[in-house]
Amino acid sequence: MKKIGQPKKFIVKGKRLDGRKPDEMREVKIKAGVLERPDGSAYLEWGGNKVLAACYGPREVHPRHLSMSHKALLRCTYNMAPFSVNDRKRPGPDRRSTEISKVTRQALEPVVLTNLFPKTAIDVFIEILQANAGTRCTGITAASVAIADAGIPMKDLIPACAAGKVGGEIVLDMFDVEDNYGEADLPISIMPKTGDVSLLQMDGNFTEEEFKKALNLAINGCKEIHKVQVNALKEKYGGN
Amino acid sequence: MSEKIGRKFVLPGELISEESIKLGEGVYKEGKKIYASIMGLLDLKQNFVRVIPITGKYVPHVNDYVIGMVNGTLFTGWDVDINAAYNGILNGRDYINTFDLSQEKLVKALPPGSVILSSVREISPTKKVYISMADRGARVLKGGRLLNINPTKIPRLIGKKSSMISMIKSEVKCTIIVGQNGRIWLDGKPELVSIAVKAIEIIEKNTQMPGLTDHIKKIIIEQREKL
Repeated sequence: MKKIGQPKKFIVKGKRLDGRKPDEMREVKIKAGVLERPDGSAYLEWGGNKVLAACYGPREVHPRHLSMSHKALLRCTYNMAPFSVNDRKRPGPDRRSTEISKVTRQALEPVVLTNLFPKTAIDVFIEILQANAGTRCTGITAASVAIADAGIPMKDLIPACAAGKVGGEIVLDMFDVEDNYGEADLPISIMPKTGDVSLLQMDGNFTEEEFKKALNLAINGCKEIHKVQVNALKEKYGGN
Repeated sequence: MSEKIGRKFVLPGELISEESIKLGEGVYKEGKKIYASIMGLLDLKQNFVRVIPITGKYVPHVNDYVIGMVNGTLFTGWDVDINAAYNGILNGRDYINTFDLSQEKLVKALPPGSVILSSVREISPTKKVYISMADRGARVLKGGRLLNINPTKIPRLIGKKSSMISMIKSEVKCTIIVGQNGRIWLDGKPELVSIAVKAIEIIEKNTQMPGLTDHIKKIIIEQREKL
């Protein structure tokens, strides 16, 4: 992947630098159940993002003192491969991945029916193999498919998507140049059934109108992602 | 199971019904609406609804026969891995008939790594799974071969009125014990056991196939003639 400097204009003749319209998403492909060892897994390609998610559980909690007597413990680990970015990423957890692990857990917690499995743990691992902006949304989307693939009871699938502001215009699903040099970023995840928002972060500044526009755009993006998630699971298990 | 074919495939969060009916596994209620909570096949009857899982861990039920592996000893019993979210507890008195339950006696009776056929006796409200060796047929399984398959495929492996498993048993002439927790123990001539293992692997991959029993029978006979 070539490193691109800051462009002079982000939107030329109504089209973005990669040829998309402002409200158009990158292509998303999801494959469920790609790994044999974990209980559930998913592989996801979202534009230039390549993500592998796996899920174990419910299983015994180690260390024991973390177990809760009324519900299962949900643990999420987000990790970027050293080769996932232009300059080598120093392997291991850091401030950023610890934060994303936490928000991923909080995004998934409202849907996973943890009360059915007290004293157990559900472990979710997200590995970013290639990053191209919006990896936290990618990770949450893949993790949710992996949990469903593991047969763990959940209220709904969780799709995630980001909207942002580049060159003064609100756009859906930014790619790396827009993400690096853009003005604002708004990743969200929703529960499609109820429309509840389980993740909402904001980086940069929006006016009130811009925020509302970006939020609606991202919600529509999430709904599209949800269709892809459903199709991925149907494809794997031969649904009608 | 042939009646599975044609059942609706549902995903978590999918609306199933708005009527008030009895709820089984894999569904949840919010307000008056009933939704699926797991991925699987919908079993909607007049007054009962559930989702048959097609993937997932074994969930213990009382009276299930399970094949367990002894992890180690507890204070007066054994800790047994039953391939579920919770480990099974086998009480010392349920297996050895003595007053003295010292650690040496427990280890000698069932050393770590032993494979046992047992049944689920009780599941406490605190989710402790007590297993028992008092039931008919419960014993230590020595030798043989242990196979793991997805626990949700076990009903298909057994078949209607155990048609599938009894066919395999009679065709390959070896002992096959199927645990509800997805573990299968096979004992007999190694060549014949290998054929049975292959057959079980095919069943696991093609649970939805119509006429599977006949197909498997054909494969077993073909393989047996090659010996």
